[in-house]
Amino acid sequence: MECPVPNCQQREPVAPGWNLSRLRPWLQTGFLGIWLAPVGRWLHGIPGCVFHCYSCPLSSFACPVGVAANYAALLPAAFEVPYLLIGLLLVVGAVSGSLVCGWACPFGFLQDLLGKIPPRKISLPGWVGYTRYVVLVGLVLLLPMILGFKGIPYENQVVSICRLCPAGALEAGVPYSVQSVLAGKGWIMSWFKTGILLSFIAAALFIHRPWCRIFCPLGGFLALFNRFSLFHLRFNPQQCVECNLCRSRCSMGVKVDQAVNVTGCIRCLECTTCGALEPAFALPKKDSAPSKETPA
Amino acid sequence: MKRIPQPPVNPALRDVEHHDFWPGFIAVLIGGVLAFGGARHLTGVDTVGGSTASEIQLVKAFSSGGVQYASQIAPPPPPKLEDPAAEAEALDRWAKQQANATPPSWKIRVDTDAKTSCPT
Repeated sequence: MECPVPNCQQREPVAPGWNLSRLRPWLQTGFLGIWLAPVGRWLHGIPGCVFHCYSCPLSSFACPVGVAANYAALLPAAFEVPYLLIGLLLVVGAVSGSLVCGWACPFGFLQDLLGKIPPRKISLPGWVGYTRYVVLVGLVLLLPMILGFKGIPYENQVVSICRLCPAGALEAGVPYSVQSVLAGKGWIMSWFKTGILLSFIAAALFIHRPWCRIFCPLGGFLALFNRFSLFHLRFNPQQCVECNLCRSRCSMGVKVDQAVNVTGCIRCLECTTCGALEPAFALPKKDSAPSKETPA
Repeated sequence: MKRIPQPPVNPALRDVEHHDFWPGFIAVLIGGVLAFGGARHLTGVDTVGGSTASEIQLVKAFSSGGVQYASQIAPPPPPKLEDPAAEAEALDRWAKQQANATPPSWKIRVDTDAKTSCPT
């Protein structure tokens, strides 16, 4: 396809922003040290804010998705509101939106690493992001509740987000299966779940962050805050030279040239390289928002 | 870097996407209150020890297989003894106990000492 913007390849940003693509993997690795801290399970009573299986032998916090599904399944037996879970996700979402997806999530980091393997990535239509809300409402909230009303405890539910989750397969299923194999008892993870894990890894070679873009209920929930979170991305029209760099650097398929604080964004901040999109934090005073003047 | 084609944009007409402070701040405030309250909140679920489980204990029970359902509690197995006479007596006693057993008053409870590595 011929680009309708003339000479976009030759246009260079007026004042390039920070190139954060080198810093991000280091911070993601640092956060991995927090989520996989071998400190025992004494923090398992607190839900984390990233997608990470609480059955992983090294996990430090509880998985917010698993906790939400457990609460839903508990509903027929005891009406309990997960105040702590809702509160923590509200704080994280309202402060940073989906920033944790791009910078702190261990499963996102894994997909970023898999995405660096050469096969050319397939672009997905934007609407696939809405399936995350189907997963959130259907698999995480409604299904456990319906099966709970049938008297099936969450742990015995044959179909549940935990039984279908590739993060659970990788972080819990694989370590325990390897342990079992070493003890001479064979592979204990079901072949169905092993297949899910292998399919996910294969998908991650051809689609950038397939789990985040299509299925992640937590990312979908946090992305709802992108439109009003304190941390956000701001467009500076004076800096925009229509170089196409912002949209070209976005691996999530967001139409960055139209709007950037949208639900498809994981706030990796790669688009800020061009300098026209800049990270900003909302402050109580009337701050210096860039005006809509025509660039010189 | 190879740049992907995109429709021409008019920077002057594009929304700057500036966010106000107050909606985010109010959400943070509500979240903070809920999280703080939740951390100190006692649920309506009992522990195996007889006390009331806190929300943190309940969350921890989810990840360690510590949630017990009354419907899932199996009755004790019938006794098996070497001496047939003693076994018959024990079986009779066991059958009477089962007949007189009342269902537990709780629907679910939390075992705070549970350590199942992968509940599902």
